Amino acid sequence: MTQDNGSNLLKATNEDTSGPFFPIYFQDESLEDLTVLGPGIVGAPSGQHIILCGRVLDRHGNLANGVLMEFWQANAKGIYNSPANLGHPDLDSWFNGYGRLRSASGEYKFCTIMPGASDSRAPNITITLFSDGISRIVTQVFFEGHKANETDPVLKSLDTDDQARLIARHGGQTDGGAEIYLLDIVMAGVNETPFFDDFES
Amino acid sequence: MTQFGRQLGIGPTDNTSDQRTPRKPLRLIPSVARESFVPVVPARYVIRTHEWDMTRIAPGRPRGDGTPIEVTGTLRNENGTPIRDALIEIWNANHHGRYRHVEDASGLQLDENFFGMGRVVTDEDGNYRFWTISPGAYLARPDIGRWRPKHIHLSISGGSARLITQMYFPNEPNNASDPMAILMGDGFENNIGKTYETSDLDVDEGYRFDIVVGGRNATFFE
Ligand SMILES: [Fe+2]
Repeated sequence: MTQDNGSNLLKATNEDTSGPFFPIYFQDESLEDLTVLGPGIVGAPSGQHIILCGRVLDRHGNLANGVLMEFWQANAKGIYNSPANLGHPDLDSWFNGYGRLRSASGEYKFCTIMPGASDSRAPNITITLFSDGISRIVTQVFFEGHKANETDPVLKSLDTDDQARLIARHGGQTDGGAEIYLLDIVMAGVNETPFFDDFES
Repeated sequence: MTQFGRQLGIGPTDNTSDQRTPRKPLRLIPSVARESFVPVVPARYVIRTHEWDMTRIAPGRPRGDGTPIEVTGTLRNENGTPIRDALIEIWNANHHGRYRHVEDASGLQLDENFFGMGRVVTDEDGNYRFWTISPGAYLARPDIGRWRPKHIHLSISGGSARLITQMYFPNEPNNASDPMAILMGDGFENNIGKTYETSDLDVDEGYRFDIVVGGRNATFFE
């Protein structure tokens, strides 16, 4: 296999664009609403139901149709369901914290629970975007009104304009009691959302 | 203070890339927050057992038009550790260059014996295998006559390994002008399947495509 010069690591396969035709056929509704376990199943994850919604926009302010969005978050107690936390007493059996949806129009709506704060972090959800024209881009969204936003290391690493671009606005409550949070993601141009890269770059 | 990482490239002649590629350099993730950026995909996959054979819609059905091929490979992380039980979602255009996707408005011919979407899971040793019909190239920019070379889309989700990529074919005339291939530079070689003999198999061509998931924004807990 190909190896990097001077390194024992294998050379990673290049990421590539998903193109415009990521199959809608691969849609899994259980990944679009993490508050529901599935038809006829008793049980639910703990936590305040929230709906994170908004638009994904391109450089011209047009909706970015056909985007694939992935979400990753801690449970209500701030614990991620990752191998590092195997056996952790505060894991929630009914909450994996991973979501995925493909938006035909560029508008999105993700139903989940409010993640807990963990360690030094404010509640947040990591969002990964795949679409035609780009390979994966990654950002993290925060929630208006959380005191911990002021001390969060990711937010603190950004200037105030960029911070505001990552804080979802509270937009009321649904009849069912879910808190609504609104965030537009701007892929490029004026008001561009800050996207992140591995710290070892 | 913000620390900056890569500046992403815009694919030449790719309008969508121009519209959607962030213009500011990526921000570096503070090390204390790094793990929070690494999703772990729970292994709860829905797969139909016949999906590994995309040359036909269902067992016992006729094959689609074109050349049946096999694609095999091993999925590993950068340390060479096989990634087992990973989901590979596969989609490719039919022999005529058309996707069976409601948003494909190319008007190219559909094939009533080709579905073009399938899912497989890697085995204990990280190996995967599927059959499909060799995809047609399609005209991506009719105004300037730029084609997308033959390619197969692969989306890999396995624990903290996540990758969307494409396998290209050797010696294709359109490879050189492809915007994404241009962005990959010399590394494009890595995304081309390597041919092998299939005389003992019920397919006409075989392509080896070993996949290494790693690089930026990837962490492994193993
Ligand atoms: Fe494609």
